Amino acid sequence: MRRFVTLLVSAALAAGALLAAETDANAQEIQLTGPLAGAPAARKLRLYREGRFELAPTTSFTLLDEYRRTIFVGGRLQYHIKDWLGVGVWGAYGVVSSTTDLTDQIDAVAIRNNRTAANVAPKNFGDQTAKLTYVAAPQATFVPFRGKFAIFQKIFVDTDAYLHGGVAFVGVQERGNCGGSGQPLCTDPSSFALASRTAIAPTFGLGLNFYVSELLSIGLEYRALPFSWNRAGFDSRGAGNNGKFPNVPPKIDDQDQTFKFNQMITIALGISLPTHAKVSD
Amino acid sequence: MDQARPAGSSLVGYKRKVPRPTGRLLTRLTRLTSLTALATGLVVALASPSALAQKKGGAKPKPPPAGAAAGASGGAEIELDAPATGQPAAGAGGTVELDQPQATTPTPTPPPGGGATGEGGICDIDPSACPKQADIKAAQNKTINAEIYAVQQIYALRARRFELNPYWAFTLNDQFVSHPGPGLAANYYISNVLAVGVNGTLYAGLNGDSDFNFENRRATRVAVPLNEYQWAAALNFTYVPMYGKFAGFSDFIFHYDAYVVGGVGAISTRPIPVIDPDNRNFSWEPKVAFNAGLGLRIFLNRWFAATLEVRDYIYNEKLENTDSIVGQTQAQLQDKNNWYKENRLTNNVQAQVGLSIFLPFSWEYRLPK
Repeated sequence: MRRFVTLLVSAALAAGALLAAETDANAQEIQLTGPLAGAPAARKLRLYREGRFELAPTTSFTLLDEYRRTIFVGGRLQYHIKDWLGVGVWGAYGVVSSTTDLTDQIDAVAIRNNRTAANVAPKNFGDQTAKLTYVAAPQATFVPFRGKFAIFQKIFVDTDAYLHGGVAFVGVQERGNCGGSGQPLCTDPSSFALASRTAIAPTFGLGLNFYVSELLSIGLEYRALPFSWNRAGFDSRGAGNNGKFPNVPPKIDDQDQTFKFNQMITIALGISLPTHAKVSD
Repeated sequence: MDQARPAGSSLVGYKRKVPRPTGRLLTRLTRLTSLTALATGLVVALASPSALAQKKGGAKPKPPPAGAAAGASGGAEIELDAPATGQPAAGAGGTVELDQPQATTPTPTPPPGGGATGEGGICDIDPSACPKQADIKAAQNKTINAEIYAVQQIYALRARRFELNPYWAFTLNDQFVSHPGPGLAANYYISNVLAVGVNGTLYAGLNGDSDFNFENRRATRVAVPLNEYQWAAALNFTYVPMYGKFAGFSDFIFHYDAYVVGGVGAISTRPIPVIDPDNRNFSWEPKVAFNAGLGLRIFLNRWFAATLEVRDYIYNEKLENTDSIVGQTQAQLQDKNNWYKENRLTNNVQAQVGLSIFLPFSWEYRLPK
């Protein structure tokens, strides 16, 4: 153990010495002892966010979907207390919900018999797969990085990078419970109907905002919404020693909701009000 | 510190009565006008506290702008005992308080035909270097390259440097089998924006067949063909059209660039037997793979950077035959020709997170700052 610690410390010191041996980076530090000592990293910064509301229509696309993908259309309303901190809400409604190739393949080739009767709808397998209908997410936005980028040394765009986090209320339509007391049998075609519920999940992610003017910005955002849901409408859990086997007779309940790290990409067109941004000292 | 004091900042400090030579009133008035303007500027500057504010305590105060220091230490005091007539009054008396006796020295007459003023000009210091009329004409006829760059002295130049980029790759678009793995890229930048290089990723032993596949097969009795990867390698070209800098927490600045990358190479894959694992033992086969991607590189110093890249490897995958094997003989089951069914164009989209080391560590800029 001691040898390992010694090795680790030696490696850390060697890496530190390697980094410290670099000389050219110090060229920047000369300014720190000159007239700019103590000055902020950027002066006369356009404060695109501070004291302004942002209204942003958004379009979101889900990623890595197993059975059904969704396109959300919605909007984001935020107020920025500081240039680096804002609070607001993002809400969106699923306007397009299309099946994946896997869903289509299952529908096309799955044998409908007594072995699959509880898990594959007799007519259209896609109808039993779960849908995301809406998302409403109160959230806070933290903007640690401000800057700009140049494209072909011709186009310069003010940009910021931000993190966001909050609580999401997600509308889910998934196969209703069956096989329990007072519930239809899971082999009954009527049991494949979808039931609605609201899932509560953490939501977080990061994004980039490109300010094309003081009024308008274009945003690209990644968002995660991890929570458990029964995406295929299968009876896959609930029995066996570890609960990872189907029930006999089939029974669908909340144990069949499996964890999924839901992800999506959002494109936004931001409109900031008032129309003019403040400028820092 | 005097040598660092800007021009016009000499009228501070003690009073010194200097007899005013006759015939220099115009010069004095001109200086007075300048000083008044500078003093006005100083008052405006003092009225705006943020202009001189220092963010951090203990730091050196920002020196005032050139000329604005006249009143910074108490202000200028000028006395003129002659009426201002707008014309130099020959023989008029008066005093001007100046803190620098040198300011009272007579102004020499500029040399004829020269641009130097005679007050420390190049013609006084070194007459041989004084520009002559012929030199000016020659300079006028000289062809100059009027090119100017929008941003000069990029923080980290890439031209004629090697980049070593170890990374970790993980899948972005395969919900059935994950393909993580370590990789290494090596690029040589022919110019500041264009590089040629190679990269390779090792997946063997790290592919992950998720529970989702088994649960889906168990519920639907439908087999989804699965594939795993062994390695991938490619020859690539990288183009860097975008760069910029960010201020972090309004306290520090880091530089970054964004690039596009594309190339051609090979990827070695094989199916994971789903239908008849007892008989089907697929072997690795390399396939031609094209790739294209986008990357972001954040410089931690001039030769060390963090990278994030998303790349799509496009190749023709051979998929397992998932038709039922019920009724087949043992010979048919072991016939490799029955194991494959179709080829499908496949996109392996993966993220690559890594570090970049540029060699050599330093360079010289072509243009001055």
